[in-house]
Amino acid sequence: MLSAKDLALDYRTGGSVAHAVDTVSLNVGRGSFVGLVGPSGSGKSSLMYLLSGLKRPSRGAVSFEDRDYANLSGAGLMRLRRRRFGFVFQQHFLVNYLSAFENVMVGAVERDHDTAAYAQALLHRVGLGDKLMKRPYQLSIGERQRVAVARALVHRPAVVFADEPTASLDQATGHEVVNLLADYRRSGGGSLLVVTHDPAMLSDADRVLQMRDGRLMAA
Amino acid sequence: MTNPLSLWNFYFRNKRKVLPVIGILALAILGVVVTDSLLASARETAYATFGSYQKLILVAPRATRDQDLANPLQDSLMRLHDVQLQVDTLDGPGGITSYYNAVVALPAQVRAQLPAVQRLQVDSANARYYAARLRGDLVPLGDLIFRVQRLQSEEQAFNQLVNQLTQNPNDPRPLITYLQQHQTFLQSVLPDSAQLGRLQLAVTSASADANGLQQSLQAMNRDTANLNSAGQNVANLPLPPSPSATIDQFRSALDRLTASLGSIEQPQPGLDKLLADSAHIPGTALVKRDAYSNLDINLLAGNAQFDLYGIDQPGMTQLLTLYGDRVVAGRLPRQNASEIAVSEEIARARHVSVGSKLGNNVDELDRLPDAFTVVGIIGGPTRLGVIPLDYMTEHYLFERRYQGLIVIPQAGHAQAVHDELQRLVGIPQAGHAQAVHDELQRLVGDQAFRLFDWPYIKAKIDSLIANLDSINRFLILLVTLVLSLVVGLLNNLFFRQRMNEFGLLAAVGYSRWGLIRRVALESFGVTLAAWLLGVGIAVAVLSWFNTVFMVPHGLLMNVFDWNVLALHTLPIPLMVFLFGMGTVGWQLLRLDPISIIERRD
Repeated sequence: MLSAKDLALDYRTGGSVAHAVDTVSLNVGRGSFVGLVGPSGSGKSSLMYLLSGLKRPSRGAVSFEDRDYANLSGAGLMRLRRRRFGFVFQQHFLVNYLSAFENVMVGAVERDHDTAAYAQALLHRVGLGDKLMKRPYQLSIGERQRVAVARALVHRPAVVFADEPTASLDQATGHEVVNLLADYRRSGGGSLLVVTHDPAMLSDADRVLQMRDGRLMAA
Repeated sequence: MTNPLSLWNFYFRNKRKVLPVIGILALAILGVVVTDSLLASARETAYATFGSYQKLILVAPRATRDQDLANPLQDSLMRLHDVQLQVDTLDGPGGITSYYNAVVALPAQVRAQLPAVQRLQVDSANARYYAARLRGDLVPLGDLIFRVQRLQSEEQAFNQLVNQLTQNPNDPRPLITYLQQHQTFLQSVLPDSAQLGRLQLAVTSASADANGLQQSLQAMNRDTANLNSAGQNVANLPLPPSPSATIDQFRSALDRLTASLGSIEQPQPGLDKLLADSAHIPGTALVKRDAYSNLDINLLAGNAQFDLYGIDQPGMTQLLTLYGDRVVAGRLPRQNASEIAVSEEIARARHVSVGSKLGNNVDELDRLPDAFTVVGIIGGPTRLGVIPLDYMTEHYLFERRYQGLIVIPQAGHAQAVHDELQRLVGIPQAGHAQAVHDELQRLVGDQAFRLFDWPYIKAKIDSLIANLDSINRFLILLVTLVLSLVVGLLNNLFFRQRMNEFGLLAAVGYSRWGLIRRVALESFGVTLAAWLLGVGIAVAVLSWFNTVFMVPHGLLMNVFDWNVLALHTLPIPLMVFLFGMGTVGWQLLRLDPISIIERRD
């Protein structure tokens, strides 16, 4: 469904070239849970940006559902991210003047009653059923991240990209967050690509890929 | 289900950030509207104050040179004593008479040998004659000086009375005492027309005699010099008296006095002819003699002199009819009375009503002399003030009250009149009033009189307001620039606080132009709200100000001047919006969501 072939991302700094991602090929099947681990600076986040269309590769190709990103315009990639992908980042990035429920609805593509009901259900499922109208500053950090997870899932994305979703959380809360994502995958929602530096978070993953110096290593 | 990122949510969830911006902008717009409206008010009030010029042309003397009269009197006063002493000396021992006697006493033999002695005798006889005449001339002149001295002391007493009454307005005793003491005195001091005529003759005669005396003295000196140069000194003949510089100065002062006294009796020579000629200008509806005066009134943009027309009683009615005005309280001034009728706006501006006083005694900035009683209030579209011609011309002999003419062109005359005027003035003219104006200008020449008409007055007002307008425009520009900068910086600050929001939205697939459009709508809403609020508050403030200040002071203000409310205020929100959007839009276009996502703060 999501595949990358000989993917590379170079950064030019002064006269030298740094290879953030170096000739990576990868397939993420429908409904699969792929973990991506590696030390800081190994290129796992950069790989995720390439796979999600947030960045254009220096070389190689990425395609989703047989559509090559190279053939998509910037607007086309944006539409893809908006409609087919979900994102969870290390920080929650909640809009601080909106309630938990409204923040979830920020991720919705259609803003109808069904979506609203689904958003509420998601918030119930992540344990925030009684905090729908709370603002971000009224929630704990873990609760905020759970709202961010609900926001990433509300439009039922085909692929959820999670970039260090547990980095700013304690162990238990981190597990909760990853479990929420895993539940979505288990319930047939879509594929899951989780980037983390903590392999313990990937106990449910189908595959765990190790990255080092921009290259994929055997896990 | 509403969009959580709706403008409504944005405004109501960010009140503490949005309202100060709205407040600042609204205040600036309020400031612009108020200053602009006051400026427009100043212009409109000035137009209205001088609105009577729209239908008439004032022919007025070029200047009011009060010193014409005052200086010769003072000069004469100072030199009179010197001249008297000089004449006495000339006529005393060793003076002209003794010199004449010495010449006459010369033996016949000497006379036969020296024909120049005959000439000397004639000249010294002339000098004696003129000196005697001059002494006679100085008697009535001395009387004039005495009157002036008494008038000057009277003025001091009068000023003292004014001070006393100012300090204790409720105590009429000083006034009663003054009136008792000075009533008959004033009548005795002020000369009548006949006395003035005699005085003028005396002054003219004194001037001529002083001249004759001076010439005689010069001739005597010349004769003596001739004798001496011929080496024919005559024994026992004394040196003749020298010509006097004092007499020359005195004569020059007398000549000026003669001119001034002439103008007292006949203020503007040629005025009668001008009156007659003006009446025959084709297209002229009415010509009236005008002993004009002025009242000082406030026009917001500074004080101005409101013109009072000093005309006869039929003229007052004609003037009111011409402008569609009417007497709404009291009556028009009576003949030969110190009375005045003014428009209600002027009455309000000066806080007077029927029975009140107006004039120089009440407000020293008024040119209207003394204190005239307000007997009538005039209502109608044009502001007018009228005072009686005869009172103005017959009660101020020693204070020159210049007269002019008011010339009223006919309205809407036929093309034939225009053509006739064009032929008369010899230059192509656009309008009927202009033709009358130019013909009058031709009649009065460029010396004694000048014309005041609406185009001239309007140009003066516009010129005055233009300076204020420039300052105001500069201030609006400055306010707009400063506000654009300040609000632009606030916008940027606010935008930076929301960087995470925009980074996230861009990352999850919200389009860049969609985000820019959203920010633009947010800014537009803020500036629109500020503009509406500012204009709304301004209308409320101006309405209140108009009621409590402008109307009671006879000032005009158009509260709903859409030119001011809409056009003049728009640059502020527009510039603020464009500047704010320019900077924020630029940042949004360059926004890199990954750099925001990767930020670890």
